[in-house]
Amino acid sequence: MKMIGMDATPIEVLLVEDSPGDVRLTREAFKDAKVHINLHVASDGAEAMDFLNRQGKHSNVPRPDLILLDLNLPKKDGREVLEEIKESPVLKSIPVVILTTSASDADILRSYTLHANCYITKPVGLDGFLEVVKSIDSFWLSVVKLPHEPRS
Amino acid sequence: MVGSSVSATAASASPKRNSSERELVEALRESEERYRMLLDGIENYAIFMMDAQGQILSWNAGAERIKGYTSDQIIGHNFSRFFPPEDIERGRPEEVLRIAAASGRYEEQSMRVRKDGTRFLGNVTFTALRDSAGTLRGFSEFSHDLSESKESGAKYQALLEAAPDAMVVVNQAGEIVLVNVQAEKRFGYRRDELVGQKVKNVIPEGFAERLIADGARSAAEALAQQIGTGIELIARRKDGSEFPIEIMLSPLESAEGILVTAAIRDISVRKEAETHLAQMEGKYRGLLEAAPDAMVVVNAAGEIVLLNVQAEKQFGYSRNELVGQQVKNIVPEGFAERLIADGTRSAAEALAQQIGTGIELIARRKDGSEFPIEIMLSPLESAEGILVTAAIRDISVRKEAETHLVKTVRELKRSNDELQQFAYVSSHDLQEPLRMVASYTQLLGKRYKGRLDSDADEFITFAVDGCNRMQGLIQDLLAYSRAGTHAKELCEVSGEDALQGALTNLRITLEQSGAVVTHDSLPALMTDETQLTQVFQNLVGNAIKYRSTEVPRVHVSATKNGDNEWTFSVRDNGLGIAPQYFERIFILFQRLHGRNEFEGTGIGLAICKKVVERLGGRIWVESQPEKGSTFYFALPERAERL
Repeated sequence: MKMIGMDATPIEVLLVEDSPGDVRLTREAFKDAKVHINLHVASDGAEAMDFLNRQGKHSNVPRPDLILLDLNLPKKDGREVLEEIKESPVLKSIPVVILTTSASDADILRSYTLHANCYITKPVGLDGFLEVVKSIDSFWLSVVKLPHEPRS
Repeated sequence: MVGSSVSATAASASPKRNSSERELVEALRESEERYRMLLDGIENYAIFMMDAQGQILSWNAGAERIKGYTSDQIIGHNFSRFFPPEDIERGRPEEVLRIAAASGRYEEQSMRVRKDGTRFLGNVTFTALRDSAGTLRGFSEFSHDLSESKESGAKYQALLEAAPDAMVVVNQAGEIVLVNVQAEKRFGYRRDELVGQKVKNVIPEGFAERLIADGARSAAEALAQQIGTGIELIARRKDGSEFPIEIMLSPLESAEGILVTAAIRDISVRKEAETHLAQMEGKYRGLLEAAPDAMVVVNAAGEIVLLNVQAEKQFGYSRNELVGQQVKNIVPEGFAERLIADGTRSAAEALAQQIGTGIELIARRKDGSEFPIEIMLSPLESAEGILVTAAIRDISVRKEAETHLVKTVRELKRSNDELQQFAYVSSHDLQEPLRMVASYTQLLGKRYKGRLDSDADEFITFAVDGCNRMQGLIQDLLAYSRAGTHAKELCEVSGEDALQGALTNLRITLEQSGAVVTHDSLPALMTDETQLTQVFQNLVGNAIKYRSTEVPRVHVSATKNGDNEWTFSVRDNGLGIAPQYFERIFILFQRLHGRNEFEGTGIGLAICKKVVERLGGRIWVESQPEKGSTFYFALPERAERL
């Protein structure tokens, strides 16, 4: 058994986000991360599912160790993506962090009901955003032990 | 006894009489002796004899009982004294004897007078007594009191007494033969004062005409025409006073000929009521015409009996076309149902349930067009029975206005919802690109500050500052558009808990400013806790924010104001506000101070105002510059969402 992130093996993170600005900000924030992160990006829900199921051009991608999921997405909504992940026996063990601008009670409740692992509202300011990404890094990628499944 | 005294008296009383009389007396004595015992036993019949001129010669027990004279008192006197004075005056006694003499026998039912002056109806038979030579010697009279007759009188009397009305039985001569107790009471006479009187003494006019035949028809025919018909006449009491009566006549065949039974009802009460009603109706008709609404009066059969000019105009019919028509011709549906009783309730009850209630129905004009009406029903007691007055108002205009109003309200609500949605969506969606602008200008500042020239640094600073302010405005706009909309169920909220919640949220501000917040006892209200907390938070926060050089002191209190309202006040020792700004400070994004003096967008009081008004209250301020401000807000004790 290998300790994720504590050796040279990079941590695979799938960011499901349609806004290139946010993608870039997230990338910038992870630059200062303590661990080596491979950030993969899917810009809509459908692409996220293709990535997770290794379909189409994603046939050779790794299985992510963590998913950062926006809720409001084109094609396939983030809520549907979350539901499909948590219903899949293969995918449901991957932690999902909801990272969205929505602060609505309904979205929060629904996400946890669908077994989201945590829910974060994007802060409006840059400093806040950087702080949040740093927290994700330090908590989910350093503190937490993530499940390890053999990569086929 | 009587027989013997008759003979003795006859003998002693007639010494001066002529011989023929004496002979007759002698002759009679013999036959009288024979019948004396028989006659003495008869008390129901008066039997006596008299001479050809009517001088009484004998007297039996029945005669004494019926007529009231003893034999001593009457023998030798003329029989005419048994007749009423008016009959004597017209020579009736002599006439009777003349007829009897001519025909041998004569029978009549007619009034007789007792010794005490009272009258009775007698059945009287006169028989002429002639000697063998055919010479008239005298008469026998055989009579009885008809009112005592077992066959007709006694039974009939009992029947009469059982009747609730005054009953008077009259013979063909118009004389009262029988009366009951009710008649005595009604007319104020004793029975014996009435019997034998002419009926016209108590019913002066009309009664006789109803009975008496004219030349062309018999009394029976005349009577037959009256039978069963209530005839209204005027009667007169003993004291001379008059009163209205209704008489029902019916014939009574009796042994004594046709009698007429008159059932007499005192109708003074009814007459008075009718008069009263007639007056009322007169007034009512006046009122009807004066009414601004169409008025239609309907009887129990649903027929229109009365209407006013407005009704003619409204329905397009003339009065004559409507009177007598079924009301359902002009109010097709529902009207009859409102009036007619079903199995479980009477018509009066059915009506009572409708009274005073405006009922909306559809009416139809003569030209067939329909229009909406409102009907108010009320009952009207009248001589013709219970009538129903329907006040009918054309509510087309009101209906149109209502429809219009409903439409306008719906329209307004839609546009309001749209606006709300617009404010929320725009503030939310504006946030996203702005977040990009802000984040990257900030990143630019972070990464490149001091690495470009001083102009670049200054431009970046302005860009970052503008983004920050715009983010503040958009967030406040979002907060304002949400205020009071995502409302929770109203519940019992302690004012002190709400204030405490606000102070907890303001903890850092309180600590930094060293403010002292005090409060009186605050009431519990039926309201929204989050919103009440927010109002306290904004007001106390402002009180501290706009402080003077002194240590901020804030005092919160509440006073009951009327039945269902509390007025809260938040008083401070801060900067105060000039009166010209009292209104403006509650307007969205209106600020009295520059951004260098105080931060903020000018949203706090606007949100307070919106929240308080949505809870059914109001908010205002009293202040003087440099003397502190007191913000007041009044809330209903039990709020209802607006």
